[in-house]
Amino acid sequence: MIRYLLTRLTLLAVGLLVASALIFTVLRVLPGDVAQLIAGTQGSAAQVAEIRRQLGLDRPLWEQYADWIGGVLHGDLGVSMLTGSPVADELWEKAQVTLPLGILSMLIALLISVPFGVLSAVRRGRADGTAISVVSQGLAAVPVVWAGMMLVVLFAVVLGWLPAQGFPRSGWAAPGLALRSLMLPALTIGVVEGAMLLRFVRSATLQAVGQDFVRTGAAKGLTRTQALIRHGLPSVGLSIVTVLGLQVAGIVVGAVVIELVFNLPGIGRMLATDVGSRDLVMVQGELLVLTGFVLLIGFVVDLVHHAIDPRQREAG
Amino acid sequence: MHSFSSRPALLRRSAVAGLGIAALALAGCTGSPQPGPTGEPDPDATLRLGLVLEPDNLDIRHTSGAALEQILIDNVYEGLVTRTEENEIVPSLASEYEVSEDGLTYTFTLNEGVTFHGGGELTASDVVETYNQVRSDETLIGHDQLAHVVAVDAPDDRTVVLTLDQPDQNLLFALTGRAGLVFDEGDETDLKTAANGTGPFTLADWSQGDGITFTRNDEYWGEAAGVAAVEVSYIPDFTAGVNAALDGSLDVLTAVQADLAPQLDGQNGFTLTRGATTDKATLAFNNQAAPLDDVRVREALRLAIDHEALVEAVGAATTQYGPIPALDPGYEDLSDVAPFDPERAKELLAEAGQEDLELELTIPSFYGTTVSTFLVSAFNDIGVELKVDPVEFPTWLQDVYTNKDYQLSFVLHVEPRDFGNFANPDYYFGYDNAEVQELYAEATSTVDPDESAELLAQAARIVSEDHAADWLYTGETITAVGPGVAGFPVHSINSRIDLAAVTLATE
Repeated sequence: MIRYLLTRLTLLAVGLLVASALIFTVLRVLPGDVAQLIAGTQGSAAQVAEIRRQLGLDRPLWEQYADWIGGVLHGDLGVSMLTGSPVADELWEKAQVTLPLGILSMLIALLISVPFGVLSAVRRGRADGTAISVVSQGLAAVPVVWAGMMLVVLFAVVLGWLPAQGFPRSGWAAPGLALRSLMLPALTIGVVEGAMLLRFVRSATLQAVGQDFVRTGAAKGLTRTQALIRHGLPSVGLSIVTVLGLQVAGIVVGAVVIELVFNLPGIGRMLATDVGSRDLVMVQGELLVLTGFVLLIGFVVDLVHHAIDPRQREAG
Repeated sequence: MHSFSSRPALLRRSAVAGLGIAALALAGCTGSPQPGPTGEPDPDATLRLGLVLEPDNLDIRHTSGAALEQILIDNVYEGLVTRTEENEIVPSLASEYEVSEDGLTYTFTLNEGVTFHGGGELTASDVVETYNQVRSDETLIGHDQLAHVVAVDAPDDRTVVLTLDQPDQNLLFALTGRAGLVFDEGDETDLKTAANGTGPFTLADWSQGDGITFTRNDEYWGEAAGVAAVEVSYIPDFTAGVNAALDGSLDVLTAVQADLAPQLDGQNGFTLTRGATTDKATLAFNNQAAPLDDVRVREALRLAIDHEALVEAVGAATTQYGPIPALDPGYEDLSDVAPFDPERAKELLAEAGQEDLELELTIPSFYGTTVSTFLVSAFNDIGVELKVDPVEFPTWLQDVYTNKDYQLSFVLHVEPRDFGNFANPDYYFGYDNAEVQELYAEATSTVDPDESAELLAQAARIVSEDHAADWLYTGETITAVGPGVAGFPVHSINSRIDLAAVTLATE
């Protein structure tokens, strides 16, 4: 187990290092320059050069990269080129919107996918099972933005139950308000992701139904449903954990769009703005943290797998 | 000085979003409009204002862009003079000013009892110090605008004298902008995230990616602001902005995208205003490079455009056939110079030997597709194939503005009184006409404003007759004003929103 853990950790570290180099390089290739944006369209060449010097953009690239990575290793992500505020502080502030949004979306996705997925597998071939399948196929194909629009129309405009956009200025100091404002965006991501997840749950359940251990359970006198719940669901759980891990990246991407549509001050919107203003220090910090987060989830999923699945433990 | 209306890249809107909008409009029809509050203005009210473009930081001295000026000047920071919605120059921190007959000496008398938000008292030496910083530090915005100022003096505590080496018709107007703002001498406020001005509001909070909060400055030297606080929310997505207004989160929303405006008109007590701007929707031609160095090609392209139809398609605009918009001095109706005449356009192309022309238009993607789609079809009708290259704004800045590597370009030039770009052969237009440059220099150094405007009009006509660019339209700003709100500005909103006189009745 320890050897396994060490290998995984090394892979994680190497992955992050490669990602950091890629992020840094790609951002430098991007056309456009923060100094030019600061100076605007009346800025002279001399003025742009002076701003570049003040921001340290005139130094060799390897030196800038080394500086950045050196800071990151000490837990310092640097400061914004435009506002001078620490990248880590900004990220933490915006994470207070994006993280709860992600968790809520996940919960909603699970609440939809697990019961309905299992049901549609168990009731396969009957009218209700087929109906669930068809609806989930349809929902999974829906673009997130469109789903959001429709939910806004229903819950905010017609019914007036939930706010159509925005996040309270006071943040989580008003937990009720904050939660309410995250409901529609989370529902939007959750329904679409949940429909996708449902299909995995369904096929995993179908597979489990056919497995020896479920049949054995049934032979012991359990009903088919009892056998499925007692012996089949752990194996279904394994597939869900894997797919959920993969979906974290999807939710991060979805957050960029959703935060703009719902006007939420989160990491997704911050990333879009900072790319637009070429605040490279901010963008590379944001991307590195997001990449690290996704890699970390993958790492945890691997560990969970390893712990749950006896076959993997033996393979080591 | 020039800047552009917008920068963020994520205003792209999909056809899918359009569906949602249609549904929203339908849903909106079922609700009955609520009568708005009609009572007295509430001095304790908080005005909730929705804007589109967020500033990158608050450093108005170093950072360009209209978003900063729009919200900070007159509200938080003030200059010796300022300008009205109609771009008239009026006194501000100076109670009065006098320009000598030779146009070389400007004498300002400061108002009494002006204090900075940090507590410092405004004296003439603050002005001297601030203006000298702008003159000496070229990274400060407005540096070039004070080029003819050779001395800034304070003969006493209440008097500031600017001495020029030649008359400068642009100076006073420049002083209504960033070049003229006055800061507290020796102040160490970090302007990127905080502010220390003299205006009717103090900056209470700025949360990047969200909004700005102002509170009334109770020590204000002039008439106190009409509301106790202003909460500005930045909503880059136009549809989200309309949703915010409809769900009661905003008292005022500006700008409203033209095709979304009907959803707000009369809904929940909102009324719409349409304001004039100096936003010149400029179709730039690269005058230096073939085939656009040929005036016949440039004229052909202009004659191919039905400007009236384009204005209708854009929805919030008026026609503009020359480089100077109606709000600026030197404006003249130049519609006779570029009438819609595709037949003549084809003849011109034939004369120029360009019957089989392919051109590329570089356009920042946040401007959407209305203009580019219109141009593709208009140019197609005269046998010109137009390729559209949508780019991010920073890319436009690098390729078009700095490197002049383009054929046609589209951006909105927002700044008032920027005709000088056509008298500057190094500007990205690459337009080089000695007669225009002379007329402009003369207009700038003429002391009498009317005479100066006359010279500008002459120069503008030449520029239009040379077809140095096409001015597709002058933008209009649609503002949705909610129930109970009074005194909200209508014109020139994307360069200045003076909030001091705005009131809100809450009952």
